[in-house]
Amino acid sequence: MFKKIMKGGHRKPSKSDSTENYAFGPPRSHNPGSVVVNHASRPVLSAPEQNSSPSAPIAPPPLSTAAVEPLPLLRDVPVSERQSLFLRKLQICSYQLDFTNMLKTVREKEVKRRTLLELVDFFQSGSGKITEVCQEEMIKMVAINIFRCLPPASHENTGQEVTDPEEEETHLDPSWPHLQLVYELLLRYVVSSDTDTKVAKRYIDHSFVLKLIDLFDSEDPREREYLKTILHRIYGKFMVHRPFIRKAINNIFYRFIYETERYNGIGELLEILGSIINGFALPMKEEHKLFLARALIPLHKPKPVATYHHQLSYCVTQFVEKDYKLADTVIRGLLKYWPVTNCQKEVLFLGELEEVLEATQSAEFQRCMVPLFRQIARCLNSPHFQVSERALFFWNNEHILGLIAQNRHVVLPLIFEALEKNILGHWNQAVHGLTVNVRKMFMEVDAELFEECRRQYEEKTAGAREVEDQREMTWKRLADVAGEREGGNLVAV
Amino acid sequence: MAMIDEPLYPIAVLIDELKNEDIQLRLNSIRRLSTIARALGEERTRKELIPFLSENNDDDDEVLLPMAEELGVFIPYVGGVQYANVLLPPLETLCTVEESCVREKAVESLCRIGAQMMEQDLVDCFIPLVKEVDYLEMQMHVGKDEITFCNKILQEFDIEFNRSFKRLAAGEWFTARVSSCGLFRIAYPSAPEALKTELRAIYSQLCQDDMPMVRRSAATNLGNFAATIEAPHLKVDIMSMFDDLTQDDQDSVRLLAVEGCAALGKLLEPQDCAAHILPVIVNFSQDKSWRVRYMVANQLYELCEAVGPEPTRSDIFPAYVRLLRDNEAEVRIAAAGKVTKFCRILNPELAIQHILPCVKVKMLMEHFGYFVEELSTDSSQHVRSALASVIIGMAPVLGKVYSILSGDALDVLLVLYCWVSLILEGIDATIEQLLPIFLSLLKDEFPDVRLNIISKLDQVNQVIGIDLLSQSLLPAIVELAEDRHWRVRLAIIEYITLLASQLGVGFFDDKLGALCMQWLKDKVYSIRDAAANNVKRLAEEFGPDWAMQHIVPQVLDMINNPHYLHRMTILHSISLLAPVMGSDITCSKLLPVVINASKDRVPNVKFNVAKVLQSLIPIVDQSVVEKKIRPCLVELSEDPNVDVRFFASQALESSNQVMMS
Repeated sequence: MFKKIMKGGHRKPSKSDSTENYAFGPPRSHNPGSVVVNHASRPVLSAPEQNSSPSAPIAPPPLSTAAVEPLPLLRDVPVSERQSLFLRKLQICSYQLDFTNMLKTVREKEVKRRTLLELVDFFQSGSGKITEVCQEEMIKMVAINIFRCLPPASHENTGQEVTDPEEEETHLDPSWPHLQLVYELLLRYVVSSDTDTKVAKRYIDHSFVLKLIDLFDSEDPREREYLKTILHRIYGKFMVHRPFIRKAINNIFYRFIYETERYNGIGELLEILGSIINGFALPMKEEHKLFLARALIPLHKPKPVATYHHQLSYCVTQFVEKDYKLADTVIRGLLKYWPVTNCQKEVLFLGELEEVLEATQSAEFQRCMVPLFRQIARCLNSPHFQVSERALFFWNNEHILGLIAQNRHVVLPLIFEALEKNILGHWNQAVHGLTVNVRKMFMEVDAELFEECRRQYEEKTAGAREVEDQREMTWKRLADVAGEREGGNLVAV
Repeated sequence: MAMIDEPLYPIAVLIDELKNEDIQLRLNSIRRLSTIARALGEERTRKELIPFLSENNDDDDEVLLPMAEELGVFIPYVGGVQYANVLLPPLETLCTVEESCVREKAVESLCRIGAQMMEQDLVDCFIPLVKEVDYLEMQMHVGKDEITFCNKILQEFDIEFNRSFKRLAAGEWFTARVSSCGLFRIAYPSAPEALKTELRAIYSQLCQDDMPMVRRSAATNLGNFAATIEAPHLKVDIMSMFDDLTQDDQDSVRLLAVEGCAALGKLLEPQDCAAHILPVIVNFSQDKSWRVRYMVANQLYELCEAVGPEPTRSDIFPAYVRLLRDNEAEVRIAAAGKVTKFCRILNPELAIQHILPCVKVKMLMEHFGYFVEELSTDSSQHVRSALASVIIGMAPVLGKVYSILSGDALDVLLVLYCWVSLILEGIDATIEQLLPIFLSLLKDEFPDVRLNIISKLDQVNQVIGIDLLSQSLLPAIVELAEDRHWRVRLAIIEYITLLASQLGVGFFDDKLGALCMQWLKDKVYSIRDAAANNVKRLAEEFGPDWAMQHIVPQVLDMINNPHYLHRMTILHSISLLAPVMGSDITCSKLLPVVINASKDRVPNVKFNVAKVLQSLIPIVDQSVVEKKIRPCLVELSEDPNVDVRFFASQALESSNQVMMS
């Protein structure tokens, strides 16, 4: 709370702009016709005087009054004139308008909005077979509108980490009324049966796709939703782009996992991948298996995993359901990235693990059961009752129960100690009860084994102190030997 | 030697420990690698331990990280620099793991080892050096493209290297390539001429690698690498790499290229820098991505040094002024952060004329303090007075700004910084204007404002003088002592000793004594804790006699507080006071209170009694320990509560030790 107050001043840097005094010189002349890259700061609603930046990258458009005169509707002109009118309409839409100031360029905004709306309708009505020139210009217009540098994220503004994803106020792009129409237009273009991919791929090229994928970092969920649908359609329609899209998504994942741990659109990208994985042909290509091992599994590591875990878990389970031989790779991967201190994350992992185990066959299970049940034993003893409860629920699952029963000679010795500890003193009543049930289950299945485990456990607890002492002794002796050697050397020198 | 009755196998110990499922034990044993190495001796370390480590690196990243770190300082254990090459294989493998911390640490360790090898006498180390370089060389041939070239070099290499090379060359995963970028700067300087050419070629390929991860690493390390390269190649090879990177299709790569531009520029001749780097950067200062412009804003100043005064004035200065007026607040802030430095390299009068007007009030406030400090210490008398007049002219504006922005805590704060700097410059005229502002800021509704003023109190004190301070500020401080926000109270407590020493005993007694007691009963633990420390510091400052009169009785009174947490605070204060007060007072006044508290009904108080008693043992006389402390502890060690028993027995143990010694 206090930190928030401290940082408050930074968070809205533009606020002071509004009360700014030009104390050191005359106010700069202001060019009302200029267009600025807006997003100057995040939640700006009123900045009466946005200074026009000489470094604004987009040249001021020739928005003379004539240019913004509403053009006639496309359907009102003869077919022969439509193309040139279409191009003129695109021209109108090819400028970003400043949305940080609602009062500025109101008329231009309205004209652009109507024009975009008409273009969208034009496509929707099915009369939208347009020439190649028009297609090219239209994609250019789309690019000018949507490819912008995203505004600073809240952590960049304040240096403050948002720990609780729900606490973060998402930044909604003020220019959404226009952006949405542009995205809609792009979507209609991509899905339209009139669009010939052979032609369209010239405009929707690698560079376009790459920039589109970069936009997934947008904080605005509405924008990400559109991007998801569009990229998915592009993936479906443009076969030539498929490997490229997969690679680009991979690169985003790698950067997210190994460099930044920050990216807004991971969930959306995974959603697309979920459906792509669903369509993988069997036997699976090596490339796809590598993707599982190198991107999907490491995606369990970053801190914000909770925000996209649902989609991630779906992708991973898809893999195992398609090819059960991958089960032990996945399980070992989960174990590798198992959370150490984050209990919420641990519950998510346990959920995913159960789903994967559901699809696991005996052979794969046997390959990873030792490390797996070491981890489950730790979970059983978790002081967080949700974690231990979730782990105990595994014994309610018939498939898993079958696997455990089949391999009880390995599993029980691994978890026996954990069960005993819970019964001796887990604070949570439910966990206690569930543990008793599990123990009873083992006892009924194989009393002999159970007795054997109990005997070993008692021996071990009795000897624990001794082992500990022994270890210390060994290290002490090692240190002595090392010391002696060193002393000897000194003398020798 | 006779002590060792069974043979000890250090490696076996390690293997055993590294197999343990408890990660803590594995970590412990990795941390003791040097012990094992010393026990083994240099030769066996080389022949047994290091190969073992090279093969056993599929552990958790948590274990691999310290391993990479330990190996970096392992040279003495393998027999000195001439054997350093044996350390390379395990580190090389660590360079290829996925976890970036581990990789970075491994690269760091490799560089550290490599650098030591370089420093040795050339003749002595010629052979190992060549090996080293060849070896590192091979590490870089991890990209698929370089295989042919590597094969050529390979023929000259030892079998051992051969093996490790193949493993790396076969690894098409990006991690190895990312790591290799960081190693060039070590490998390059001592490589023979032909190899150098190849190295540059390889680096250039890394700059165009398929994976953006690798290109980013290449961009990050370009400056390092360039620093080792001879001037003629610098202009050709490195500049073309720089160009590649600045035209990358990924924003993230271009950003890093910009970030390195200043470092690169400094390596070039000024005219070359002006010809090659400057245009790129000036161009970037108008990039459509604000992140790029932000980087430029951060780097521009550094570039000035590299290009010299003329291009600075003609090219950089306009770009800088543009950035000061950028649309994006982040960019403006970054640019304003360099105001001071820019003003220093420019003609100061020019700076006041051109830069100050661009700097917005807010940013000015943010950075003006530093600006004033720098200019006023470094420049001529003339500039200083010019500056002073500007500032004094600004005073009303700032005052107004303060009143307008009083909602924006940070800004207020920044105004204050300016003022403080001003006073420190001894501009006397402002004192009268200043004091009211100070006082009102001390009552500002935002706690961080109050807090920051308090933290500046000692500086204020220097200027305003103690009399004025005690008259005007002290009432405000007393008020702050009861501030709603505990951090503010905490800050005040930390300054109490300072104030007390400056104001003197007399002043302290009347005003602040009661406050100190009040804090001991604060609702917030941190305050109570700080208050206890404060009591101790006061006793140190004014001596035991004074403390006996003014602090100790009041503190001891509070032991009867109905709230157990407050009783615990008093126990804590006693343990802090005891060393200051000395043995006599401790025995006569403090100890009875503690002993009495052992009858408390709350276990927490009781085990704290045990802890305090333990801390008193070294202070008081042995006989007192026997007669008073031990009986009390014995009683506590039979308490029904397990924690009380634990701490009591711990205290007893330590009293036994004291007795024995």
